[in-house]
Amino acid sequence: MEFRPILSAMLRNKTGSILVALQIALTLSIVVNCMFLAKQRIDHVNRPTGMDVDNIISVRSMGFGTDYDHDRTIDNDLRLLREMPGVISASHSSGLPMNGSGSANGFAGSPDEDASRVTANYYHVDERMLDSLGTTLAAGRMFRDVEIRRADNELLNRMPQQVVITQALADKLFDGEPALGKRMYDGLGESAEVVGILEHMYGAWVGWSDFDQVAMFPQRTEGPHIRYIVRAEPGKRDELIPLIEKTLADSDRTRLIRGVSSMEETTRNSYEGDFAIAVTLSVAVGLLLGVTGLGIVGLASFTVRQRTKQIGTRRAIGARKRDIIRYFLIENWLMTTIGIVLGTVLTIAINYSLASAFNTDQLNYGFLVAGMFMLWLLGFMAVAEPARRAAQVSPAIATRTV
Amino acid sequence: MLEMKEISRVYRTDLVETHALRELSLSVDTGEFVAVTGPSGSGKTTFLNIAGLLETATSGEYSLDGTDVSGLNDNQRSRIRNEKIGFIFQSFNLIPDLNIFDNVDVPLRYRGFDGAERRGRIEKALDQVGLAARMKHLPSQLSGGQQQRAAIARALAGGPSFLLADEPTGNLDSLMARQVMDLLEKINNEGTTIVMVTHDPELARRAHRNVQLLDGQLASPDPFSASQSTPIEADLQPVA
Ligand SMILES: Nc1ncnc2c1ncn2[C@@H]1O[C@H](COP(=O)(O)OP(=O)(O)O)[C@@H](O)[C@H]1O
Ligand SMILES: [Mg+2]
Repeated sequence: MEFRPILSAMLRNKTGSILVALQIALTLSIVVNCMFLAKQRIDHVNRPTGMDVDNIISVRSMGFGTDYDHDRTIDNDLRLLREMPGVISASHSSGLPMNGSGSANGFAGSPDEDASRVTANYYHVDERMLDSLGTTLAAGRMFRDVEIRRADNELLNRMPQQVVITQALADKLFDGEPALGKRMYDGLGESAEVVGILEHMYGAWVGWSDFDQVAMFPQRTEGPHIRYIVRAEPGKRDELIPLIEKTLADSDRTRLIRGVSSMEETTRNSYEGDFAIAVTLSVAVGLLLGVTGLGIVGLASFTVRQRTKQIGTRRAIGARKRDIIRYFLIENWLMTTIGIVLGTVLTIAINYSLASAFNTDQLNYGFLVAGMFMLWLLGFMAVAEPARRAAQVSPAIATRTV
Repeated sequence: MLEMKEISRVYRTDLVETHALRELSLSVDTGEFVAVTGPSGSGKTTFLNIAGLLETATSGEYSLDGTDVSGLNDNQRSRIRNEKIGFIFQSFNLIPDLNIFDNVDVPLRYRGFDGAERRGRIEKALDQVGLAARMKHLPSQLSGGQQQRAAIARALAGGPSFLLADEPTGNLDSLMARQVMDLLEKINNEGTTIVMVTHDPELARRAHRNVQLLDGQLASPDPFSASQSTPIEADLQPVA
C-alpha cells in the first residue's frame, strides 16, 4: 500500500478532507499559541522570588485606644516572636512583598533635577529583614540596629540616611556601575547612601514589569499600623500561625491582631489572574482538541460508511483486514499532515503578529513540535475505531450490494 | 479443481432461518466454463461467495486445487482470493476515485509485486480487454461495458486459476453483454476456469455446462454426469 493512490483518491473527494485539514491547521495554531501563552503565565508565576516564600508568615497589628504605645508594642511583639520555638527570624515591615499592595516612589542616581527617575517599591524595615525574608546580599551590608528609626523619631517622614536596594534597581539607577556607597535621591532632593545591594527580591505588584526594583529603608512605620514578617523553620509554618495569633493577641490588649497568613497563600492570591488565564487557555486547548478529534472521527466514520462496498470489494480481491486498517490510517495521516503543514505556517504567522502587536515573546518552537505530535497522535486515536470498523466489513458485501 | 461436498449455508436472523444452500455438491474441473442459473433467491450468489471464499459454509466440505480450505483463517483466505481467484461483479465494483490503471493495480499491490511487475501485468491485462488506451480514465468516464472489461482486467491481472462472475452482464445492454461474453469465452479458451452466474439463457447456452439451482439445491438430477461434452439442452431439460 503506497501513498500515491490513497492521496489521489483523497484528492478526488477533497471537500471533507480539506475542511478537516483546515480544522487541524487552526487547532494546531491555536493550541500551540495557547500552550505557549499558558506556559508563559506559569513561568511568570514560578519566577524565582529570591525569598523564602514557603516559610514566611505575615501578621498585622493595629493599635487603638489611648493606652496604645506603638514603639513599645513593636518591641514586645518582636521579642515574643523571636522567642517562639520554630521561628528563625522576625522583623517589622511596612509591607509584605508580592501581596499586591505597597508603596513606590521615583528615585534617581544623581541630584540633578532632570536626572531620569526610576520607580521602585520601597519598604520600611528593620535590621533583621534579610533573615526574615530569606533574601541575600550581593554586596555591602544590612542596616545596623542603631540605624533603624523608631516611630517616635521626628525625622520619620524624611528620607532615612541609608538604603539597601536590589541589584536590578542599582543597575537602573547607576547605569550598571558599582552602586555601593553612592547616593540615591528622591524627587525632593533628599538622599540616602546605598549601603547594601540585594541579589534579588520582588516588590508589591506581581503584574508590574519592574517588579524587581525594590528599596529598603531603616525605619518603623508610623502608628498605629505595623506588620511583622516571621520566617519559620521548614515545616513549622502552619503550626506557628495560630500560635502567633494567640500569643500576640494575649500579650497586648491595646491593639488588634489581624491577617495572620502565610506568604505562600497571599502570593497565590496575587497570581490568581495568571492562574485563571493559564487554566482558561488549557481548558480551551483541551476542548479544541476534543472537538477536532470528534471532527476526525466523524469524517472517518462517514467515509468508512460511504465506502462500505469499496472496502468489501478490496477485501474480495485480496486485502487483509490489516490492509484496510492501514489504508485508513495512511489516508488520515496524510490529511492530518496536510493540516499540520498549513497549521505550522499559520502558527508562525499568528505568533509573529501577536509578537509585533502586543510585544509578546517569540514562540518557542518546542511548542510547535509538541503541538504537531499531539495532533498526529490525536488523528491516530480518532481514526483508530473507524478503521477497525472498516476492517470488519465482510468481503461478501462485494456481491451483496448494488 | 473446485470441489464442494454437501455444502449448506444457513442465514440466521432474529426472526427467520434462511437455508440459502442445502447440501449442495458440485465440482468444476480445470478449464471448464460453467454457467449457474436459477431463479432469484435460489442461492446462486451464496454459492459463488462460498466458492470464492467471500463467506464460509455452515457445513460441508470445500476444497480448492486439492486443498481443504474450510479451516483457513481470514488472512489465508484473503491470500487465496488474491492469488487464485478473480472476481467479476454485476455492478463492476471499480473504485470510483481511482483511474483504470490504479483499479487494476489494487489486487497487485495487495499481492506485493514490485512496481515494474505490476505495470507489466496491468498493461497486459488492459490490452487483453482492449482498454489499453483508457488506463488514465476514471470509471465514470467509461461506458458500462468498458467498466466491466476494466473489472475483468483487474480480475485477470493477478493470473488467477479461476474467474467467478456474478451476473457479469446484468447491468449491461445486450450488445455490451455479448462483448463481455465474447471476452469471457476468449479468456476461457486461453485456459482460465470460469464459473458464471447468469439470468440470461442465451449467455448460459454459450457455457460448456449449465448448473441450475433451485431453492439452494441442484435442479438437475445428477450434476456429476454433466460434462463438457454434454449438450446444454440436456442440463436444462429437468426444469424446462
Ligand atoms: N446476508 C444474508 N442474510 C440473510 N439472508 C440472506 C443473506 N444473503 C442471502 N440471503 C438469502 O439467501 C437466499 C439466497 O440468496 P442468494 O444467494 O443471493 O440468491 P440469488 O443470488 O440466487 O438470488 C435468499 O433467500 C436470500 O434472501
Ligand atoms: Mg444473486
